Amino acid sequence: MNSIKQLFGGNIRQFGMVFALAALIVFFQVATSLKAAGTPWADGNVLIASNVQNIVNGYAYVMVLAIGMVMVIILGHIDLSVGSVAAFVGIVVATASGTWGMPWWVCIVIGLGMGALAGAWQGFWVAYVGIPAFITTLAGMMIFRGVNQIIGKQNTVSVNEDLTFIGGGYMPEVGPITGYNNLTLLLGLLAIAYLIWSTFRKRARSRKAGSTLAPAWVDGVRVALICIVVAFATYLFATGSPGTSFPVVGIVLIVLVALYQFLTSRTVSGRAIYAVGGNRQAARLSGINDKKVDFFVMMNMSMLAAVAGMIFVSRAQASGPLDGTGWELDAIASVFIGGAAVSGGVGTVIGSIIGALVMAVLNNGLQLMSSPQSTTYVVKGLVLLIAVAFDVWSKKQGKPSLIGAMQRTLRGGGSGGPKPTPEQAAAGITVPPIDSTKDAASGK
Amino acid sequence: MRRRKLLTAAAAITAAAALALTGCGRAETGATPGSDGGSAAAAFPADAKIGISLPAKTSENWVLAENLFNKDLSAAGFKPSVQFAGDGGAPTQQQQIDAMITSGVKVLVIGAVDGKQLGTQLANAKAQGVTVIAYDRLLQNSKNVDYYIAYDNEKVGELQGQALLDGLKDRKGKGPYNVELIAGSADDANSKPFFEGAMKVLQPKIDDKTLTVSSGQTSQSQVATQGWDPKNVQQRFESILSANYKGGKKLDGVLSPNDTLARAAMLSAKNAGQSTPVITGQDSEKESVKSIAAGVQYSTINKDTTSLVEKTVGMIKDLQAGKDPATTSTANNGTVDVKTLYLDPVLVTEANVKTAYKNDPDLDAIANGK
Amino acid sequence: MPTQDAILEMRNITKRFPGVIALDDVTLTVRRGEIHAICGENGAGKSTLMKVLSGVYPHGSYDGDIVFDGAGVKFGGIRQSEDAGIVIVHQELALIPELSIAENIFLGNEQSSKGVIDWVDTNRRARLIMEKVGLIEEPETKIKELGVGKQQLVEIAKALAKNVKLLILDEPTSALNETDSQDLLKLMDGLRSRGITCIMISHKLNEIEQISDSLTVIRDGKSITTMDHESGFNEDSIIKAMVGRSLDSRFPDHEPKIGEVLFKVQDWTVEHPRIPDRLSSKNAAFEVRAGEIVGFAGLMGAGRTELMRSLFGEGYGRKISGKAWVHGKPANLSTVRKAIHAGLAYVPEDRKTLGLNLLDTIKRTTVSAALSKISPRGVVDLFKEYEVAEDYRKRLRTKTSTIDAGVATLSGGNQQKVVLSKWLFTDPQVLILDEPTRGIDVGAKYEIYAIIQQLASQGRAVIVVSSELPELLGLSDRIYTIFEGAITGELPREDATQENLMRLMTSDRHSAAPAA
Repeated sequence: MNSIKQLFGGNIRQFGMVFALAALIVFFQVATSLKAAGTPWADGNVLIASNVQNIVNGYAYVMVLAIGMVMVIILGHIDLSVGSVAAFVGIVVATASGTWGMPWWVCIVIGLGMGALAGAWQGFWVAYVGIPAFITTLAGMMIFRGVNQIIGKQNTVSVNEDLTFIGGGYMPEVGPITGYNNLTLLLGLLAIAYLIWSTFRKRARSRKAGSTLAPAWVDGVRVALICIVVAFATYLFATGSPGTSFPVVGIVLIVLVALYQFLTSRTVSGRAIYAVGGNRQAARLSGINDKKVDFFVMMNMSMLAAVAGMIFVSRAQASGPLDGTGWELDAIASVFIGGAAVSGGVGTVIGSIIGALVMAVLNNGLQLMSSPQSTTYVVKGLVLLIAVAFDVWSKKQGKPSLIGAMQRTLRGGGSGGPKPTPEQAAAGITVPPIDSTKDAASGK
Repeated sequence: MRRRKLLTAAAAITAAAALALTGCGRAETGATPGSDGGSAAAAFPADAKIGISLPAKTSENWVLAENLFNKDLSAAGFKPSVQFAGDGGAPTQQQQIDAMITSGVKVLVIGAVDGKQLGTQLANAKAQGVTVIAYDRLLQNSKNVDYYIAYDNEKVGELQGQALLDGLKDRKGKGPYNVELIAGSADDANSKPFFEGAMKVLQPKIDDKTLTVSSGQTSQSQVATQGWDPKNVQQRFESILSANYKGGKKLDGVLSPNDTLARAAMLSAKNAGQSTPVITGQDSEKESVKSIAAGVQYSTINKDTTSLVEKTVGMIKDLQAGKDPATTSTANNGTVDVKTLYLDPVLVTEANVKTAYKNDPDLDAIANGK
Repeated sequence: MPTQDAILEMRNITKRFPGVIALDDVTLTVRRGEIHAICGENGAGKSTLMKVLSGVYPHGSYDGDIVFDGAGVKFGGIRQSEDAGIVIVHQELALIPELSIAENIFLGNEQSSKGVIDWVDTNRRARLIMEKVGLIEEPETKIKELGVGKQQLVEIAKALAKNVKLLILDEPTSALNETDSQDLLKLMDGLRSRGITCIMISHKLNEIEQISDSLTVIRDGKSITTMDHESGFNEDSIIKAMVGRSLDSRFPDHEPKIGEVLFKVQDWTVEHPRIPDRLSSKNAAFEVRAGEIVGFAGLMGAGRTELMRSLFGEGYGRKISGKAWVHGKPANLSTVRKAIHAGLAYVPEDRKTLGLNLLDTIKRTTVSAALSKISPRGVVDLFKEYEVAEDYRKRLRTKTSTIDAGVATLSGGNQQKVVLSKWLFTDPQVLILDEPTRGIDVGAKYEIYAIIQQLASQGRAVIVVSSELPELLGLSDRIYTIFEGAITGELPREDATQENLMRLMTSDRHSAAPAA
């Protein structure tokens, strides 16, 4: 039982969402095959090259926003302005590209710069003036929408051809003709190799450090399963119709997810976000500059909104006056579906991406089924509600997670041993002498 | 935390492992041979899927079009899939069109939310051999548009402009007259021909002072109505009326590009204590037809959705049979000249309202007070 | 004692919480028209007793009887006790700053007919009541425009508006300056002459001596004694009754190895964060030697925490003056970060709101105050993190199945060990412990004491702030006392007794007897 827990990881909400995602994919694959009156499963329209490409291309902007939004929400804030900031950056980029004819990379630099400016503006009000983020970004939502319409004269501005490869481009064809897209294959193989290598390295280091190791079969099965998923995804993308393969946007996404997952979980700055979000007072008393954290997280969100805006503009080949309306809601919903808490301190980048994928697959599946948009809204709303309700419910039970509860039941009687007297207990305590911390830090 | 990343991803497995197994044995489903540039695709099965992507149910015509497409296409043996982008706007329409192409439609009929923002989807459609028909709104800046079917929008504008002049003479006695202008949403490509067509008629009369625009708002960007949203018109008119029509000054006429906006403007005028101005419209919405029959709203345009859908379905039938559908003209979309079938709009006023809707039992009944 | 003129009798009150007896057979008799003081150390059970009286703990959740105004009462909630005429004015003022004086006075008691408030009548009646408490302001004045002293008067006016028979004042002068305090005491005298009975909970023995007619001392949840003018009382006799408990001897053996002066503070003056013209630290000067454990004794609100937190760089009020030295070198303590850098560590009094992120794991908490130590180029080394946390878990014997468990799952004692781990990992020279054993059971306390002593033995300077005098006496090598933000005394361990500490803690330097 313990091993199964290790296999799925400790986070029940995240596990639940991965499971829900898989279930949704299976459901829509079967449902679309039945609707087309084809062979059940095999004739489904979900797991085919063009559709997975569409999902990545069509929903990348939500996922990019979700990455930034989860950090904002961990910090206990909210950002309502992301759609407007995306639209503002979009129109600037479209003007630079389409109207002034600047090359694509200059446009991207300008776009990121605009995002940074917008973010610094909002970060300033939130961190150093102390205006609640809700208010600051509500104002930002209106301000940047207005700026978009002033720059674009309430009209749609088209971009130059050279910018469209980001939102609509694919990995190019190179090398021998294999019947697959070679670069996509290479990417998949690299991913698999990395997964296997990192598992081995981790086990080796854990063994050296003397920490408890999951049984070999657990790690083995897990990495094997992930590799199968990666391999299958690679196969799907590599067999797209001629000229299509793994989308450029997908690469952008992978880079961003890896970068931010690393940043939030492995760096001092990332820890600071969780610390301030979890208990601002305690974080401050631990020497963390909470205002600086506020500033940079808000600024980062706007920069990611800029990326989302550019991805969208590049795919739409134009920036319009109503771009980005309602995006903040999709991003926020993704983050909460992905396991973040309204009160802050909790959430992961990976979880939010899974949340965004759940929303994307739901949308896509319902569209493939030709369901009206109104139905999609209702279903999405219910999914958000159920996901969070599930979380609230499991917390009310006083259990950190379902699996944790099972584990505790199994351990059961173990803790009931004879209690040592205080003297006995204290006799064994050894506080590290002043220089012992260095020993501990250096590994022996 | 690599561990967690691994672990969470691993949980997808139960399903995905199974997928992988079945998936591997399958031929490339997604890849269908692209057509080699011929705009009219080869004939396709008579029971093919047809995708209809429409913007939002903001006016009755779009709702009507949905019903007619479903009815007419089914009757012709096709499998229609009609979807509205709704509040999701351009991104949702993009996703819906992607999904339609994936589910194997042979013809796409698109009433765009924003005609400039679908380039990627149109290219994708072309690659998959799907024929694209721009419906009512032209798809811009893309070479991958096969046909355009619409009422002649500049003609609509001209009719509206002329109707405003006629109506003023008819109902408000001798000039000069005070008028205000309304244009459609700036991101809708049709707004421009509507407004320009009307101004072709009105501008000379403004220049010779027959017409006075008291607010001074005469350029399209000043009078545009974001998202065709009537509340924007109402807000704008409330401020104009309180600022520029103080002290019993009369508002004699309003140029409105459609019926929904016309009614919003009339409501503002009424709230401001003005007598009903001469006001134009378009779309023959039920409320407005009623209003015209009662002598309140001056005019609307009958762009009979029934025949527009009928002609579109006719095009699709031609395509299915491998014929090139008949067109009347071309329209430049910024990149290419798109083969276009223009239908002629009909002006409806109190004078002809009783006979104008013979094609449409509902409207006919309303117009004749039944 | 003639009981027929008693307005309140609480007989044999016993209140149990899971695992604790908060009140044990407490008896309290208050005579009509008197001012009756209740004294006791923090945690002795005074507030619990008042909560029983006012119905916060409803009838049935405690044992014993309450007779009020000649009849047995069984209050099910605060509303019922207020209807009977018992009103508590809490230590933290419960006024709404954006509403006017009149609105606050009649809050929940609006002067209305058919749900419509009669403002004319409200303001007229407010003015009458305000006159009674000597509050000269317009009834429409907003609360936020008043000083704390006047706010206190509004609280009392609010109580009077409810037709109060028994007014309970919880630490009424703790937030007031000297002048306001004296005015308040005069008002209480005035209320007494109008026949209103008062219960006053206070730490300020001089005030009690000055104004009250009788008093009851509560200690460890038991009523120890009742004194009145007939039996006579003074500060000394009250202190004796308050601390009469035998000294808890369960402290680990410890041989102090005291070295050079390690931490020195001079002329440290800090303004109170909320109350203007009030200093939370007045010219504090003290020093701590290497290997020394120095206790800070003071009653709640005396400014102990404020002093320590201002030393730790927390923007707690405004600093006016002061210098600090660590190892003889001037230390910059202007921000928390700089204070940590200077070698200070502060374990806050309230673990849950100030010390821990309850969402985090033991492992991550342990390294959180010195994360950069294990993070080359800003990237956390997860293996070192694991090793460090595991090392501290073993050494401090934190009881947990795994260091990946959330700190919220731990008991108070083990949480405190994690907080200690966190600060030990910063390798502090000066370790400030604010109420280190609050809410911790006896066994764990012993372990925490052992850790504190070991830390001192390693040559660190340790400061312990505590409300529990026995703890300070058992642990400290030297003890400073604080009263109203000023250091009022310094006693070496040998000379310190609960009595002389309590005397220094409850009066300023001038009135205190010189220490032996």
